[in-house]
Amino acid sequence: MTDISTSHRRLSPGTKAGLAFFARYATILGLIAMIVAFSLLSPRAFPTLLNFTNVLNQASLAIIIASGLTMAVIVGELDLSVGFAASLHGILVTGLIVATGLPIPVAILVVLAVGALVGLVNGLVVTKLKVNSVIATLGIGTILTGLAFAYSAGVPIVSGVPEAFLEISLGRWLWGIPNNIVVMAVVVVALWVLVERTSIGQEIQAVGGNPAAARLAGISVDRIKILGFVISGMCAALTGILLASRLGSGTASAADGYLLTAFAAVFLGSATLRDGEFHILGTVIGALVIAVGFNGLNIFGAPTFSQYMLQGGILIVAVGLSSLGRSIAER
Amino acid sequence: MHGTAAAGAASNPETGAPRRLFLSAQGIAKAYGGVKALNGVSLALREGEVHGLVGANGAGKSTLIKILAGLTAADAGRITIDGAPVTIAAPHEASALGMSFIHQELAFIPEMSVIENIMLGLPKPSRLGFIDWRAIARDIAPIAERVGLNTPFHAKARSLSTAEAWLVNICRALVRKSRLLVMDEPTASLSAREAERLLAIVEDLSRSGVAVLYVSHRLDEILRLCHSVTAFRDGESVADLSGDALTRERLMEAIVGGNVETMPAEARANHDRGTVALKVRGLARAPMVRGVDFELHHGEVLGIGGLVGAGRSELARLVYGADRPHEGAMELAGKPYAPSSPTAAVRSGLGFVPEERRSEGLILTKSVAFNMQLANLANIVRSPALPLIDTRKRRSQTEAIVKSLAVKTPDTETTVGRLSGGNQQKVVIGRWLLRRPNILILDEPTRGVDVGARGEIHRLIREIAAEGMAVMVISSEPDELPDLCDRILVMVEGRITRELTGEDMTRNAIVSASYASAA
Repeated sequence: MTDISTSHRRLSPGTKAGLAFFARYATILGLIAMIVAFSLLSPRAFPTLLNFTNVLNQASLAIIIASGLTMAVIVGELDLSVGFAASLHGILVTGLIVATGLPIPVAILVVLAVGALVGLVNGLVVTKLKVNSVIATLGIGTILTGLAFAYSAGVPIVSGVPEAFLEISLGRWLWGIPNNIVVMAVVVVALWVLVERTSIGQEIQAVGGNPAAARLAGISVDRIKILGFVISGMCAALTGILLASRLGSGTASAADGYLLTAFAAVFLGSATLRDGEFHILGTVIGALVIAVGFNGLNIFGAPTFSQYMLQGGILIVAVGLSSLGRSIAER
Repeated sequence: MHGTAAAGAASNPETGAPRRLFLSAQGIAKAYGGVKALNGVSLALREGEVHGLVGANGAGKSTLIKILAGLTAADAGRITIDGAPVTIAAPHEASALGMSFIHQELAFIPEMSVIENIMLGLPKPSRLGFIDWRAIARDIAPIAERVGLNTPFHAKARSLSTAEAWLVNICRALVRKSRLLVMDEPTASLSAREAERLLAIVEDLSRSGVAVLYVSHRLDEILRLCHSVTAFRDGESVADLSGDALTRERLMEAIVGGNVETMPAEARANHDRGTVALKVRGLARAPMVRGVDFELHHGEVLGIGGLVGAGRSELARLVYGADRPHEGAMELAGKPYAPSSPTAAVRSGLGFVPEERRSEGLILTKSVAFNMQLANLANIVRSPALPLIDTRKRRSQTEAIVKSLAVKTPDTETTVGRLSGGNQQKVVIGRWLLRRPNILILDEPTRGVDVGARGEIHRLIREIAAEGMAVMVISSEPDELPDLCDRILVMVEGRITRELTGEDMTRNAIVSASYASAA
C-alpha cells in the first residue's frame, strides 16, 4: 500500500496505459484467443452450440464455488475449506437421501444449512479467535474431510440414489437450459447485486479495502467477514450437492479439486476489468477461461497431466496479472 | 556550476563562501489521470542549505518529492545533480545519488532492532561470514550521539516514539553519507520539545554541508530554519524567497495567492451552550488515560489540548468505542452509554474523524462517493428491507457535500487516494456531515492541511456546532484551539489538568498547562 515499498521502473504514460490495458483485458483477450484457436483447429467439435452449452454446464459448478470464494476474498480473507466442504456436502446429501430417507428438498435444505454453519465456524475462528484465515480454513477443511470419511465409513455412497436426485443436475426444466446453468446464473446475479448494488455490498467492499477505516466508520467488520465466509460455505454446499447429483454418488474427495480451480478463477478474475480487485463478474470470466481451456485439451485428447499443468500455470499467471494490475493502479 | 552560486542567499553565512549547487530540477510536470499535479515546477538546492518547500495541500510538494525519490516518474522536465543530468527510476537510484527521504509516515520494520533498521539495505561489514554487529555499533555510535538517539541499539523499532523514529531515520541518512535529506512535515507529530530538538539537528546537518529540503506547513519553523524557500501553488512554483524577502507575509501571500481566510468573529460570538450531550466520569484505561471527567454540550466546540502522548487520542477512542475503558462511566443525554464497538457508538449518534486519515479514515482505492457514503448507507437505500442503493440519491447527496466543502476532485467517482491531503480530510469530514451525528470527535483535523483548507475546516466545525452538534477537537497545535473552541481542556499524562474558557484560552496558557506537571 505504501509508496515507499513499491519499487518500479520508470514508465512513460503510454507504456503505463498499455500495461494497464493489458492487465485488465488480458484474461478476456485470452478467452477470445482460445475460442478462436480451438474453433480453427477443431471446426467440427469445438464451435458448436452443443459444445458451448456443455462447457458452460461443466463450468457452472466451478463458477458457483468460485463466486462463493470471491465473497471471502473480497472481505480480505482466504477460504481454503471450499473444496473439502463441497466433498463432505456431496456425501452428506446422498447419505441423507439414501440412508436417512429424507425427502430430496429437505435433504438439500439441510445440507445448505450445514454449509452456512461451516462458513459461520470459519468466520468465528477467524474473527473471534483471530486465527489467520489460511490456517483456520485449512484446519477446518481437513476436519471436514475427516467428517466425510467418518460419515461414509470410507465407502462411496453409490447405490440407491434416486433418479429424481440425478435429475436435478441432468434436467433442463426451464426453456431447455441445463439446470446447472440456471442455478449458476441465479447465484451469480444474486451475488453481483449484493456486492455491487446494496448497502451491505458497500460495507463488504469497505472491509476488504481497509478494515481499520471501515471499523471507525461504524461498520461491524467481524460481522461482514463472517457473512463472507457464510456465503462461501453455502456456495460450496450448493456445488457439493450439484456434483453429487451429477455423479450420482457421494465420494469423500470428489470435489477437492475445485479448491484450485476456484482460486485460479478468483485471481484471474481480479485481474479482469479492474486493477487487481476481486469481483464476481471477473470470477465468472476467470472460471470460463479455465473451463474453455480444459474443454480444448479434452477435444484434442491431451493427457490428464496437462490439465494439472494448465491449472497450476493459470493460477500463477492469474496472481501475477492481479498484482500487476494493483501496482499499476497505485502508481 | 561554481559560477551559478552568486546570489546573496546562496553564500554560506558563516564563511561567506558561495555554496555549490547540488540539485536542480527544471520544468517538472506530472499529471495523474486528467489532474495536473505539477505544471512545470523548478527547484534549486545548494550544498549545506536548508531549503524550505511550502504550499497548500495539493500544490504539488509531495508529487515533486516522489519524483525525486524515484517513486513516480515525471512526465516532463530535467533534473541535474552536480550539474549532470540524471534519471531517477527507482528509490535505490535516488539513494545512490546521495538523497535520503524521511516521509510523514515513517517506514521501518517494527520487528527489527534499531540498529538493523539503521543498516537496512546497506552493506554490512562481516567477520567469518557473519555480520559484525559490534563493528557496526562502534561505527554508528558517534552518529547516534550526534543526533541525540539515546535508545539502545538492540531495542525493537516498534517500541520507538515518533520522535525516536525520526532520529533513527536521520541516522540512516547519515550512515549512508547522504548529501541531501528530504524531510516531509517532520514536526507534525512531535511535541514542542521534540520538535525543538529536531530543528537543532537540522541546523547541525546544514553546518556540516548536508542539504536539507524541509517541507512544512509551520511557517515559524520555515522562517527560523531555512536559508531560502520555494513556494508551490496549484502545481507551479510561484515564489523563490531568501534573505530579506523571506517574511511571513510574503510566504502567506505565495501559498494562498493573496487571500487568507480567517475565522469570522461573529461565527462564534456568544451563543448559548446547549444541554449536556456527553458526560464522562472517571474514565480510565491505564496507562494512557487515568481518570477523566468532563461534559460536552450541544452546540459547543470543546478543544482537547496537550502534548503528543498525553492520552488525548486514547480518550477519544474510549468515547468512540474503539477501545474499552477499564474504569469509569459515560452518559449520553442522561442515559448510560458503554459502547462495545465503533458500530455501537455510531448507532448512538457519534462520529469520529481519526488522526491517521490514510490508514484509518479512508479506503484509498475507492471513490470519493464510496468513502463519503460509508456511514450514511441506511439513508441512500431504496428500502430497509431491500437495501438496494439508490444511485441517483447517492450521487446528488455526495455532490452537494463535495460542493459545500469545496473538495477539489474531478468528480465524485474519482479514487480518493488520488486527492491531496486536505481534500482527503474533507472527504472524511463530509462522511459525518452526511450522517449528522449528535457528537463529532475530530482528532487533529487540520494536521498536514494547508492554510486555506484549514480555515475552511475551522469554519465548517463552527457551523456544525452552531447547528447544535456537540464537537470535540483534539489538536497538538496550541495555535489552533484558541481560534476554534468555546472551551479548552488540557490533558497531561492521562488526566485533565486544566480547563480554559473565554479570555484564558490563549496559546501560552495551553502550552504552560501542557508542561505544568509533566516536568
